[in-house]
Amino acid sequence: MMDEIRKEITKIEEAANRLKTLAPEMPGIKRNADVILVFTYLLKFLTPGGKSA
Amino acid sequence: MKYWNPYTETLPIEELDRIEFSFFKDYFAYAKANSPMYREKLKGINAEDIKSLDDVRKIPFTYKDELRAQQEVAPFPYGALLGVPIEQVSAFRQTSGTTGKPVYVPESYESWQWRVESWCHILWMAGFRPHHRVFLPVGYNVYVAFWECHYACEKVGCEVVPGGALDTKGRVNKILEIKANAMGCTPTYGLNIAEEAMKMGIDPKTMGIERMICAGEPLPEATRKKLEETYGAHVYDHIGGTEICGWAGMCEEKKGLHIIEPFFLIEILDRETLSKEVAEGEIGVVVITPLGRHSFPMIRFNTNDMVVKGKVGCACGRTSRKIMEVVGRADDLRKIRGVLFSPKTVEQFIREDYPEVVEFEIVVTRKGIMDELTLRTELQPNIGKEKAEEIRNRVKESAKIKTNLTMNVTLEPEGTLPRYDLKARRFKDLRGEK
Repeated sequence: MMDEIRKEITKIEEAANRLKTLAPEMPGIKRNADVILVFTYLLKFLTPGGKSA
Repeated sequence: MKYWNPYTETLPIEELDRIEFSFFKDYFAYAKANSPMYREKLKGINAEDIKSLDDVRKIPFTYKDELRAQQEVAPFPYGALLGVPIEQVSAFRQTSGTTGKPVYVPESYESWQWRVESWCHILWMAGFRPHHRVFLPVGYNVYVAFWECHYACEKVGCEVVPGGALDTKGRVNKILEIKANAMGCTPTYGLNIAEEAMKMGIDPKTMGIERMICAGEPLPEATRKKLEETYGAHVYDHIGGTEICGWAGMCEEKKGLHIIEPFFLIEILDRETLSKEVAEGEIGVVVITPLGRHSFPMIRFNTNDMVVKGKVGCACGRTSRKIMEVVGRADDLRKIRGVLFSPKTVEQFIREDYPEVVEFEIVVTRKGIMDELTLRTELQPNIGKEKAEEIRNRVKESAKIKTNLTMNVTLEPEGTLPRYDLKARRFKDLRGEK
């Protein structure tokens, strides 16, 4: 299960980064995408394993 | 659901060790690359050279005094401690300045949310749930503890009610008006609110507070129990610091504090040598590395906090390391007439054995070459003169037994001693003053 969760987190992270690329001149979208990235960072902190395994 | 994050909270300790060590190396590399202070301080040590905990122990500590000096340079006001571009700083906080000039702490949105996440563990462990309406009877100002508590309450789903800009009576009324059923405050202020309620003819047990999280100052076990009895509530402790975040919390077993793993690399080191981990049941100094906080990197921060190291694991099922007791801050210990004195000892016996004492203050002065210790006490109103005198004599006797020091004990009129809503300062060392 943890592997699936980690995969989903990666997908969200990639989507947020794509949003930022698509909307470089749109501060609202860019900032909200940044906020999503903050939470993917936290999600990775809650689901460690990849690096140490 | 019992755990905030069942995965990390029940991982075998060996796995937590591996994860924390891996996080440490990344964090070390980040600090060195992004913090001017650490670039200089850690010159000659590379992340790839850190291969074991023994290697970690060779890395120099970071001390609070060092932080103050580093803030003298640009960019104002954070100086060489800043770990992100200053445009990314979204909140200013600072230490209380109890031990000297305050340290200014920059929070980026990411670092702040990281702190809040750690606090979510603390609140969830203490049984805070979405049905709680949490009253925070504090003006948070620039101090971090209740901001963390506020944001974490929101995040775990509680309804949070900021209670600044009211006097104590106004806060009692607000609790009753909105039917708050949980509270976060300093232990001292929890007792002050109860005292005020009683003056208003209200039994604190009827106020509806069922759960309380304490922050901002140490919580001796006797004070925690007194709060529980006073409110008929479950009262929980936690430990944290402005520079590093809330890092351990109390579970429903109420026996010691769980370290929030793997958010922190915590070392509890022998007080004399500061070089080896103490054994279970021994007192050590806490050294902390918060493993995910980028705006204010902190490598091996020597907190000066002394704790009794606990065992790994708990009846609650969490597998983290525990600390059994917060002994105090090394700065709080004073030598008086050659005897090592901790103000916490006085709080412990006062709260445990003297419910009639509503407030107290310890003052040490010097007369000639002699230290003089005075314990000023304020008793509940309507205690007769004879009874008050008897309590005074008993307190004097207890003080002698518990501290090995003879104290003058005085009875002060009602309302004389200061009341605190943030950090209480009940110990005054005036020996350096003329």
